Amino acid sequence: MASVGRALRVALGTLATVFLCLYPATTAGATQSATLGASFTPYRLGAPTTVGLSLQIQAPAGQIPSALTEVEVRYPQNLGWALSGLGLAVCSPATLEAAGASGCPANSIMGGGNALAELRFGPQLVSESASISIARAPDEEGHIALLLYASGPSPVNTQILSPAQLLPAGPPFGGRLNMQLPIVPSVPGAADVAIVSLRVTLGPLGLTYYEQTEGNTLAYTPKGILLPTTCPRGGFPFAATFSFLDGSHPAARTIVPCPDLRGRRHRGRH
Amino acid sequence: MTPHHHVRRRVTAALCGTFVAGCIATATQSPHASAYAAEPGARAHAAHVLSATDTAHLHYVSSSGSLLFDEGKATGTLPGSMRVHLDLGTTFTGTFTIYASGGSIEGRGSATPHGSGTYESFSGTLTVTGGSGRYAHAHGHGGLYGTFDRDNYALVIKTTGSLSY
Repeated sequence: MASVGRALRVALGTLATVFLCLYPATTAGATQSATLGASFTPYRLGAPTTVGLSLQIQAPAGQIPSALTEVEVRYPQNLGWALSGLGLAVCSPATLEAAGASGCPANSIMGGGNALAELRFGPQLVSESASISIARAPDEEGHIALLLYASGPSPVNTQILSPAQLLPAGPPFGGRLNMQLPIVPSVPGAADVAIVSLRVTLGPLGLTYYEQTEGNTLAYTPKGILLPTTCPRGGFPFAATFSFLDGSHPAARTIVPCPDLRGRRHRGRH
Repeated sequence: MTPHHHVRRRVTAALCGTFVAGCIATATQSPHASAYAAEPGARAHAAHVLSATDTAHLHYVSSSGSLLFDEGKATGTLPGSMRVHLDLGTTFTGTFTIYASGGSIEGRGSATPHGSGTYESFSGTLTVTGGSGRYAHAHGHGGLYGTFDRDNYALVIKTTGSLSY
């Protein structure tokens, strides 16, 4: 991580950009707000799905948000993570740092996504996007651990590793995804890099796993996170708490509405 | 399962159980006898006390979201069949029914999953809450551990503990 930070600062000395994380120290007094989006793809009750999460952070016009240090997303009860067939292998932080997501076992990858970060470079706001891979990591203190590996190849080649865990949560939630986000310094005297958008998916969408059968290697798509056969009243609730370097902790909620069962039954008749 | 001890006006029965599976083992006088004796419900029925170790091999029946329904055979002190309804959340929680000779045993349990891979291990505790037939007044506590096959959703559950009935 230290080498990543050094490379980043050097590169930003001439160019701009960065990928994950957060905040311009020059935005003192700025307050940010955050929104949360969630989705199931495909969305069929009783069927496996990929869970999508979208986090958007907005700062006052012309400013960039404070550095995001932690995000905790609470997800609905009765989502079948354990039945998903995802994360059958683990990838270590050392492997990710040394070789990136491509160095991890394919069966350790549980999802992906992208992030958009902003950096103030002189009077300009510069953006950089990064792709994200989510890998299953060795358990931590009895909890399922994940690693978010973000890689922004251009204009600055940046890699960032963020630990995450699946933790218990009280009703109406079934658990919470806790993500710790490192602070990424920018150029000297300027604010840290600010994440303004984070979109991740957890599920089989775009993933290929492999298994050994009688000496042959077979590729397959993991099953996915199993949705319950019934939709909770009011839909599937999600909630997020954001922690920023400036000490603010905005929260956001969203609901994935129950599917249109009339349409589902209609399609089922044909 | 060899009940071997009747404790007059006491229940010292012990059972052990399989999370959802059967349990109990060798009947030995429970060291918890005095504790059970303090329980009014327990005093109402003379009991057998068993300590046991059992293993259940369960196969997938159905699932919905994080809820899993498995059933299969239990072997050991209380041989029979077992049905388990589990909520596979960040911790595994669920209920079980063991159908043994002469009646059924019901209970609940919770366990913490460990590690990753196709076979995910777990460990926790179980509580026997009742039953039917000769086990109508069953109660007890035990430990459970086992593995969950993330490929075919099969469970292997091993239990140790004591059972009173």
